[in-house]
Amino acid sequence: MDNRPSRHPLVRIRSSRCESSGQRRLPLREIGGALVRIGLLTEGGYPYVSGDARLWCDRLVRGLGQHEFDVYALSRSERQEYEGWVSLPPQVRRVRTAPLWSAEDDGVVLGRSARRRFSERYGALASALCAGPDAQDGVSEGPSDDVADRFGNALYGLAELARDEGGLSGALRSETAVRALERACRAPGALRTAREARVPDLLTVAAHLERVLRPLSLDWYEDVGLGSVDLCHAASGGPAALPGLLARHFSGVPLLVTEYSVRLRSHYLATTDAPPPVRALLAAFHGRLAAEIYGRAEIVTPGNAHARRWQEHCGADRAKLRTVYPGMDASRFAEVGEAPERADPGTLVWVGRVEPAKDLVSLLHAFAEIRKEEPKTRLRIVGAPAGSEGAAYLGHCKALAAQLFPDEADGLHAVGDNPVSFEEIGGPELPSLADAYAAGAVAVLSSVVEGFPISLVEAMFCGRATVSTDVGAVVEVIGGTGLVVPPRNPRALAEACVALLRDPERRERLGAAARARALELFTVEQNIAAFHGIYLEIVARCPVRRVLLDETGEPLPFAVPAEAHVPGRWTGPATRLVARGGPGWAAGPPVRATPRVAAEGAR
Amino acid sequence: MSGLGGLDRPGTSTSPGARDARSNESLVTETDGPDPGEPGSAPATERRARRPAVDPVKTLMHRHRELCERAVDPLEIAAGLEAHGVTDRTAARFRHRDVFSLAEEMYARVPRDGDAPARTTPPSAPRVRADWAVLALLPGTLCAAAVTALRHAEGQARLIIAVVGVLAVAVVLRVALSRGPLRVADRAQRPTAAWTCGLIAYAALGDGLLRAALADGPDALPTGSPDGAWPLAAAGVLALALSCAPAAWCAHLFTARARRRLAASRGLEEYATSVQPLLLGTFALFLASLAALTALSGAALDETAAHPQVLTLGALLLLARLLGAHGFTHAPAAVLGAAATAEAVALASVFAARLPGCGFLATPVEALVTAWGPGAVPTLVCGTGALTLLIHSSRTLTRASAHATPDAPC
Repeated sequence: MDNRPSRHPLVRIRSSRCESSGQRRLPLREIGGALVRIGLLTEGGYPYVSGDARLWCDRLVRGLGQHEFDVYALSRSERQEYEGWVSLPPQVRRVRTAPLWSAEDDGVVLGRSARRRFSERYGALASALCAGPDAQDGVSEGPSDDVADRFGNALYGLAELARDEGGLSGALRSETAVRALERACRAPGALRTAREARVPDLLTVAAHLERVLRPLSLDWYEDVGLGSVDLCHAASGGPAALPGLLARHFSGVPLLVTEYSVRLRSHYLATTDAPPPVRALLAAFHGRLAAEIYGRAEIVTPGNAHARRWQEHCGADRAKLRTVYPGMDASRFAEVGEAPERADPGTLVWVGRVEPAKDLVSLLHAFAEIRKEEPKTRLRIVGAPAGSEGAAYLGHCKALAAQLFPDEADGLHAVGDNPVSFEEIGGPELPSLADAYAAGAVAVLSSVVEGFPISLVEAMFCGRATVSTDVGAVVEVIGGTGLVVPPRNPRALAEACVALLRDPERRERLGAAARARALELFTVEQNIAAFHGIYLEIVARCPVRRVLLDETGEPLPFAVPAEAHVPGRWTGPATRLVARGGPGWAAGPPVRATPRVAAEGAR
Repeated sequence: MSGLGGLDRPGTSTSPGARDARSNESLVTETDGPDPGEPGSAPATERRARRPAVDPVKTLMHRHRELCERAVDPLEIAAGLEAHGVTDRTAARFRHRDVFSLAEEMYARVPRDGDAPARTTPPSAPRVRADWAVLALLPGTLCAAAVTALRHAEGQARLIIAVVGVLAVAVVLRVALSRGPLRVADRAQRPTAAWTCGLIAYAALGDGLLRAALADGPDALPTGSPDGAWPLAAAGVLALALSCAPAAWCAHLFTARARRRLAASRGLEEYATSVQPLLLGTFALFLASLAALTALSGAALDETAAHPQVLTLGALLLLARLLGAHGFTHAPAAVLGAAATAEAVALASVFAARLPGCGFLATPVEALVTAWGPGAVPTLVCGTGALTLLIHSSRTLTRASAHATPDAPC
């Protein structure tokens, strides 16, 4: 398959579902089930090589071979487009991409009436953004709902206008838009910060809104595009979910939103140097957009309790939230996890990316305390520095370790060694990640800031007892299978480590429990199974009702038979659709997925 | 991340509130087996006795002072606090249900005086770069060289010099205008370029042709000399080529000043009124320099300087280019096209009048030429065009959206 990105923003790749008999996937992996056509929506992620969360999406798409995926990807930078795509499995029927970065003008000039409609709707959007706290947190919930309603109506109004006119990117940057923003900012009852907006701030906000609202101008919402899928699955919140919202508005396609990190929160952390009015308006936009997305989505799946709390706070209904933990490949750690006796009983191991947030200094101080109690203990710090800051921090830690712990040797004639070793994976001693965990009896995590602690999950897969600081999703991940201490408390960390080092039996018990918990919760299989279940649930609970019309405009009865959702193809495709530069086998005669195979599967 | 510097000193926290807060909790959350005890409790009580924290949230606010002052809503504080490792369990120590309600209290308690400190946004003025500033001089230099060579050459060589000179000036002009403040996106350039060439060609040869045509000529092709039957108006073309440099500099001046005013202005109307005189001033400056250049080249080439035609054409071309550089490509293309067509029609009408029975066709042009001379046609056409564009640009170029930088930070 030709995976290079095209300069053309919209790329259709049609891959044939007709494989030769040797390569045919069995249409059924389980009894029953349904064929679901999923529109996977990403922003700066899958299928780009450098995308965020592409690994997760790739596993999901590959794991659900019985369904069909249409990928709708928004790219984040020119470099990302240049670097190309990952290889796509055959269940990906089509990939359409659009850039969110270039300032390309679509050349659409609005007529007089369209301009007036645009001005009205953009003005409504702007006034919803500028609505001050009086309008927001009134006595009752009413005013807040009113603002959310106005925002949603303005958004869909703009989308309809974009669909009618063929694009809005020129209008969104025009003076009309800036004027509407200014009017909204100067209106009585507007946010205090917004009232201070100067002209450059207005321009910045208009430019940012234009970029974020670019999905409005795309032609993805036709009946052959997102209108034809059974559900939209947004791989992140924010702009990625915007096409899903519009598809829901235009064609009634249900929306599923997965957020492993809350988009609104990362927006707050990212825009720190812009002037206050810009930040206030953009924060309002992203907040309202998030609320709209959570409100309209059928199901929202946060990746951990932390994301869940943010989503609840932003207005997501609890009944819609299903936590789906990210899945990790457990097979790498199977060998180590099933052989707990390989561990060196006197060794602590820390694995991760070296950066200041990991607070290795605290770990070293804790280790000094541990050495007072258990002089033979060793500490292996495994990991590469992250960026220049990380490299400087690593140097700092090495110097501190050399200061705290003098080299020591077994006897008078042996060459000494430092009890703290800094290593990287890939060397002769630690060829793989699993070996790093295998080397230690206790895995330590000393971070002060942590999202979803991947290294902790890996340690759990390896069946190692863990001592970690109480940050981020650590408590949620570890459950009752490890020790948790407060962050920035070396003495508590040391106490917990010593307790585990002195008690091999407890270590083993905790390790086994941790491995069992990880295998239950954090495997790829559970992740895929959870999404499979959610897909089927959505399709069953809120199917898209499509009325097909014949040539005269009359509705066709029985145009979408129940067989449309039967897994596999029951009839050969009418036309041969082959990917550009497609593989040789795709040019062969069509092969039917015969009913016999399905019947065998069902027996 | 300013706060992360503090991470290097675990256990030696600078803030008494943090120390106090930390001592409140049991050190190890035991989940399996016996409790390992509370080894830190004795020093903790000692510390608490020494410094009782009256208002723990106030201490927290002091520690995250910058974050609180900067925040535009409570969620921003919540995100910032979480990035510094504050969790719901930490928030519980401040008697809050979660980080969000803690952040709300902090947001509500930040002192906000009515008048915000005046922000000094550094104006992102485009810098003068040597490349375009020098390149803008090249077309004039080349054109002067070509005209001089043309003056001193004879016969066949003249044709060669003329062709080479025109090509060289065209290429250099394209290069010079492809960077700097007069740069126009490539896509929009194509129709405008053809119309521009037509207008310049008319400025060079049109007046002579018109005069010859009215006198039942022309009998020969132009020789490139100013005193033939079909004379070449070299001075005007030279002045136009030389005016590339002042045009680029004026455009730069306009863009830079407009952007600086953008940073300082509070309202769109106010901005528009402040940019209008700037636009007119820049335009007048260019006209003055073009007039000086025309006089200069006329004197150098011993020609009578055709001031009106050159000035109006220069004004038209500058405004068209300035509009194009700020993203308004529609109006310049239309006006340039109309002007070039009008000139061509004027010429054609004179020739068409020679057909039997069509003598009336040349009447308007003849009347114009007898009244004010052959230069009246381009002056009238280009003047109308320039005036149209001037009115148009005084409405569009004064908009703030015309001066938005494409790579605005979000």
